[in-house]
Amino acid sequence: MPVEFRKDLFANERDDTLKEIGQPRIRQDILGHVSGRSPYYDDHLFEGLLHMRCVRSPHHHARIRHIDAGAAERMPGVVRVVWPADVPHNINTLLSLINFGRDDEALLQPSRVTYIGEPVLAIIAKTEREAREAAAAVRVDWEPLPHVLDVEEALKPDAPTVNGEYPNNTFDYHDLYDHQKLRFGDVEKGFREADHIVEGEYRMSPIEQAPIETCGAIAAPETNDRYVCHTATQGLFFSLAVTAKLLDIASSRLHFIGGTVGGGFGGKVDSITEPMAVLGARLTGQPVKFMWDREEEMQVGAPRGAELWRIKDGVARDGRILARQFTGFFDSGAYTRLSSYAVVKGTGHLPGPYTIPNVASNVYCVFTNRTPATAMRGFGITGVDFAIECQMDKVAEAAGLDPIELRILNAYRDGDMKAHRREAKNCALIECCQVAADKARWPLSPQSRAASSMTEGGVGWRAEIPETVTDQVGRIGERRRQALPSEPGAGAAATGRVAAGMRRDDRSVELPPQVADMAKEQERTGYSGKVDLPDHAAPASVQPAPATPVQRPAAPLPTQPPPPPPPPAGTAPSLPPAAQQRADDPEAAEQARRRAASRFISGTRRRR
Amino acid sequence: MTLTVETYGTLAEANAARRGDSRYLAGGTLVMRDLNYAVPGLSRVLRVSNPPRAIRQQGERLSMDAGVTMADVIESREAAFLAPVARSVGGPAVRNMATVGGNLFAAHPYGDFTAALLALDGEVQFVDGRTQPMEAFLAERDRAPLVASITMRMPRTGEFRFRKVARVKPKGVSVMSIAAWLPGAPMRVSQVRIAFGAMGPTPLRARAAEQVLEGKVLDASGIERALSVATQGLAPVDDALASAWYRNEVAPVHLRRLLLDEEPEP
Ligand SMILES: Cc1cc2nc3c(=O)[nH]c(=O)nc-3n(C[C@H](O)[C@H](O)[C@H](O)COP(=O)(O)OP(=O)(O)OC[C@H]3O[C@@H](n4cnc5c(N)ncnc54)[C@H](O)[C@@H]3O)c2cc1C
Repeated sequence: MPVEFRKDLFANERDDTLKEIGQPRIRQDILGHVSGRSPYYDDHLFEGLLHMRCVRSPHHHARIRHIDAGAAERMPGVVRVVWPADVPHNINTLLSLINFGRDDEALLQPSRVTYIGEPVLAIIAKTEREAREAAAAVRVDWEPLPHVLDVEEALKPDAPTVNGEYPNNTFDYHDLYDHQKLRFGDVEKGFREADHIVEGEYRMSPIEQAPIETCGAIAAPETNDRYVCHTATQGLFFSLAVTAKLLDIASSRLHFIGGTVGGGFGGKVDSITEPMAVLGARLTGQPVKFMWDREEEMQVGAPRGAELWRIKDGVARDGRILARQFTGFFDSGAYTRLSSYAVVKGTGHLPGPYTIPNVASNVYCVFTNRTPATAMRGFGITGVDFAIECQMDKVAEAAGLDPIELRILNAYRDGDMKAHRREAKNCALIECCQVAADKARWPLSPQSRAASSMTEGGVGWRAEIPETVTDQVGRIGERRRQALPSEPGAGAAATGRVAAGMRRDDRSVELPPQVADMAKEQERTGYSGKVDLPDHAAPASVQPAPATPVQRPAAPLPTQPPPPPPPPAGTAPSLPPAAQQRADDPEAAEQARRRAASRFISGTRRRR
Repeated sequence: MTLTVETYGTLAEANAARRGDSRYLAGGTLVMRDLNYAVPGLSRVLRVSNPPRAIRQQGERLSMDAGVTMADVIESREAAFLAPVARSVGGPAVRNMATVGGNLFAAHPYGDFTAALLALDGEVQFVDGRTQPMEAFLAERDRAPLVASITMRMPRTGEFRFRKVARVKPKGVSVMSIAAWLPGAPMRVSQVRIAFGAMGPTPLRARAAEQVLEGKVLDASGIERALSVATQGLAPVDDALASAWYRNEVAPVHLRRLLLDEEPEP
């Protein structure tokens, strides 16, 4: 089926000079793939290549009493046994590179394994077969410990601790709570006003990305005291930085070469094979390959994690959703990897693309004795979107409404206030629903057909941040001492109220680029406005806004005067407040308007 | 442990060289995996340089050398009734290598081709000349000598039906496969043989269903009792593809579709 563009819906979005999309172009790498010439990391041949294999935990949770690698060490072909103590800095967390979370995972686990397949030792041998045979000959004296595989079991006070760095089995959010909170309005009030209460529970299993090429890397000593590493990684510099940290080596001594990734889908960012291979090369002075086989890829390759979502909706007779409450659990497995971030990202996505005046959510990043989870396409969003859209169908049924019309009725429109206190822009769900209904010859009512993302949004309550009920339930460690309900607001001895109208980003403006080569390239972005170069910027008139402290959604917000009243329906959207403040200075106002408009340049719809 | 590969001129010689540490390599689609994963205790690979690969008609029966591949079956005129079965095994690369002999030994959930042989009153001929009916062979295949060839009944047009139920199409591994030889179909049937693959440690016959179909017409009422006893004698297990419970639940549904000759699902 040919691609059909509905550019009419986005006519004002940007100058549409796209030359490639929709054209029958040949993928730049496809010739190599079909002719078998694409070079993969494993195609690099090295004289005297050694092979590395891990000894892995057969238990969900166990203490290592003793490891006897004596027999393995004496087996033919074995060059070196690699112990946890051989890893110079044997502790890391992937997102430490952006300062998020605490180091919680060893490259080789020295004392206590917390998932099946966790590596405790590695063998380097002359052939892969010899490495396998030696790994099988290592004797480990395990002391199995009680384990927990279910996110809600893991939150109980007597649950075994999985991750020593997070003894409560939950990632710590903002040094304050054992979950990520989102509070907007008053869901209890919304439930009271509703005609229907619709509740649903949705579960997603872990999903393995299943690349055809399993994760792997080959490292070899290079001249100048460097190591070259050919890898299948999806994030070359990410893997390089992780390797530098774990091996305590200057990144300038690491020469990483990526290239063809034989299928990644999020499963090749965790950067485990690269530090292992470089460590092997460093310990032996020879080229070393560390490659997962298919079973390892399935068992220890980090999947998209399991998720559990409970949604409770309060729905008016006409189908308007008045309140929506989420309780979500991301199963992070035994270590953090990237799940902590998936929770934040998922929360930013709530309550789905719908304008709902009262929203509350508690989302937990939970440690269990399962394979650590990581990224996969639509990471952090796919699971909750599945839950939300199933729930929308359920709501439609409860309210006796057509499921597409229900979506159109509740959809974000331009200018609406989202639950995380940002204005909805570039909305197009209504238009997507209309086009999809047409294609499926699905009848729509005249109102639904006439609806538009560009009208009726941002008016009255739709533009406002309502008075918001807060609570302080679920502080870090609280759940260890006593069982607590997991849903928002439940069990709150004290709740607070934050006055309506608190926006946090009213005054942000875009800063001019500091040097010329940071300027946006018109060619690439499709942005057709004037390009700000440093010498164009008038520093005096473009003072950066005073930094507004970033508020945690649930923390008390400072009192501020309410935002200016919304313009009457039908007039052009108002200037961003930053521009309004300088309305007396036309030039500055013009500049601020343009900057505000170009903040996310490729997605900014400019209206006449 | 080093690995040695020993090549022999005939299957009989290879058979004589078999010990606990050795494995005969036919197409290798299963043996190579064990070698790559260094399965303990396997250090000698036995192969025959040019194993026979003939398909011959012998009266009412068809004979196939163990070395016949799935691709050979698909190309053969005499074995045309088995082409859909052979086509259901793996993808083209696997079918080019996978042999009929190797399929006899393939562990659950594999063995789709063997299920068809079981339904078609298959008989195994060993290198020492002995023969054994398929059902008895499957019950003790772990101790069998090398297989030289297999014979089976050639069904009349419309008398043989085969279904493979898989989650991934077209190349998925079986949730189950069903093969049925239905003499007399679609009218009154007699001496029916029904075999299920992936419903036990080896392909198994559904004897209870076979018996109650005796003399029945293959319509909704004629097959009703057979469906109610469809899983008697089967022994499915839980695996990554399906639970035993699920397999038992859906087996009668798939058997119904086969007996009524409904179009398979896309
Ligand atoms: C990707 C993939 C998909 C597959 N899909 C299917 C499928 O859909 N359906 C299915 O049934 N199977 C499937 N298989 C399994 C397998 O390919 C087939 O069962 C095949 O027929 C095995 O034959 P082979 O010649 O490759 O056996 P080999 O691997 O060579 O041998 C398998 C076993 O049989 C023994 N053996 C072989 N020949 C003889 C003989 N003449 N006498 C005694 N012992 C012998 C071997 O010693 C070994 O123990 C699949 C395998 C793979 C890798």
